[in-house]
Amino acid sequence: MSAINAEPLRRDIEHRARADARHDLIFRLLLRLCALLVLATLLGAALSTLWGGRDVLFKDGFHFLFSSDWNPVEDQYGALAPIVGTLVTSLIALVLAVPVSFGIALFLTEIAPSWMRGPVATAIELLAGIPSIIYGMWGLFVFVPFMASIEPWMNDTLGNIPLIGQLFQGPPLGLGLLTAGVVLAVMILPFISSVMREVFQTVPARLKESSYALGSTKWEVVWDIVLPYTRSAVIGGIFLGLGRALGETMAVTFVLGNSYNITSSLLMPGTSISSSIANEFNEAVGLHRSALIALGFLLFVVTFIVLLIARLMLRQLARREGR
Amino acid sequence: MNDLAAATAAPLTGAATPPKIKVRDVHFYYNGYHALKGIDMDIPEKQVTAIIGPSGCGKSTLLRIFNRIYAIYPKLEAKGSIELDGENILDKDYSMNRLRTKVGMVFQKPVPFPMTIHENVAYGIRHHEKLSRADLEIRVEQALRSAALWDEVKDKLKQSALGLSGGQQQRLCIARGIALRPEVLLLDEPTSALDPIATGRIEQLVEELKHEYTIVIVTHNMQQAARCSDRTAFMYLGELIEFDNTEKIFTKPGKKQTEDYITGRFG
Repeated sequence: MSAINAEPLRRDIEHRARADARHDLIFRLLLRLCALLVLATLLGAALSTLWGGRDVLFKDGFHFLFSSDWNPVEDQYGALAPIVGTLVTSLIALVLAVPVSFGIALFLTEIAPSWMRGPVATAIELLAGIPSIIYGMWGLFVFVPFMASIEPWMNDTLGNIPLIGQLFQGPPLGLGLLTAGVVLAVMILPFISSVMREVFQTVPARLKESSYALGSTKWEVVWDIVLPYTRSAVIGGIFLGLGRALGETMAVTFVLGNSYNITSSLLMPGTSISSSIANEFNEAVGLHRSALIALGFLLFVVTFIVLLIARLMLRQLARREGR
Repeated sequence: MNDLAAATAAPLTGAATPPKIKVRDVHFYYNGYHALKGIDMDIPEKQVTAIIGPSGCGKSTLLRIFNRIYAIYPKLEAKGSIELDGENILDKDYSMNRLRTKVGMVFQKPVPFPMTIHENVAYGIRHHEKLSRADLEIRVEQALRSAALWDEVKDKLKQSALGLSGGQQQRLCIARGIALRPEVLLLDEPTSALDPIATGRIEQLVEELKHEYTIVIVTHNMQQAARCSDRTAFMYLGELIEFDNTEKIFTKPGKKQTEDYITGRFG
């Protein structure tokens, strides 16, 4: 009996094994396709902006990068002002948002009573859901007048500090790099703080207890244990925020002032890559249009360089720790 | 080992050493749950006191009051008094900083900090003392030597502590604790995550360290308590059932519950 049954059974098993192998292969290909799709999109976007910007890049070459002269009437295009504006506003945003996010995340994970943690965390995440146009309107109608009212005070106080005083001198326009940086800071704050909050929660309680048991204060536990333990994720969160700040368009366009002059003051209007594109794309033709697309390509490059720096920083830190 | 434990325990029956820690009517509440119900005990100086009992009996909870580590969490409350050298550590005015330099703690699972081996030991010292570089190096070496770890790590002090084996990590945690030169060392099931060989080394270390430190060890391994302690406390359901010389607890326990537990009838 068993001899008769064995043959079909064996065939069944083989059939099953072949089907499994086939399904596995299809599944693997499918996953690979998904990953390739991302790469293809990225590469396609980079290449098409490079292609679209070829006219101005071939004509001016590096001059395009280092010239601050942007004059559509005379068909002269230099990208320095938008690049500087993008970097400066993003930097201001980071300088303001990182410490505050750190504080929020610490408060929520270490200090806040438990009934408060949920609601505040949700509120912060809601902040991330507000469309950037709303931030732009708020910036223009509420924040710009406010800045205009405190800028004379800044001139008189911060403006007199040697070295950095230069940054805080200028007419009280309200619009400008500093204003845009502050609005950006508010926008990226929820991203950075929710990443930080999540990773701070992953620190094992026993690790913190060990440090408390050595007589550390709350601050020492956070600074010496929690932060190093979550370092790469925290830096990841900061760069997620930075990535957003670099590319943010609407809110910045509203409050930046749209000027191609590079000045030493943060209170003066400026422009950024994305706001230049948003402002001028409608009426741009020919070389002007090419210059704007090339700006888009530069935004790619800037973002890429920033990510690269983040990677190098992480590696450097890991080496210092003896890994 | 058994003989050694018995030999060192022997003089105790004559004249007990003066108590280092006096626990008086200590109650503990977790979120309102009454976890410790009036504990009274005297922990003798420079001896090993073991606390045994089934899971959930409150032995770790009691240990965690001795350095007030519970206080970092909200809604936990201890009542009563615990005198360390005659001062009540549950007093609000007792400095946490001072308490934790006097009372070191080693936890169940080895938890090295994410730093180099050297930094793991130096970390605590730096918080409490301003030492010159050379003095700091000496202290780190002393601590690692006392924890019987120096020979194994002296060539890789600059490497991450996370690369050590579990047993080495636990000895590093002990080194970290004794680097502060505490007077009391609390060990919370220090070998429960280790293999028998690493466990043996830790027990040997406890044997050596008791000449300098007052040691309290929580364990649910009864053989361990029998092997390396002078005094043993048996706890059950938040109460201290019996506290006596280790030899007596394991040979002629005075209470029925203790006998049932050590003979394996429950727990």
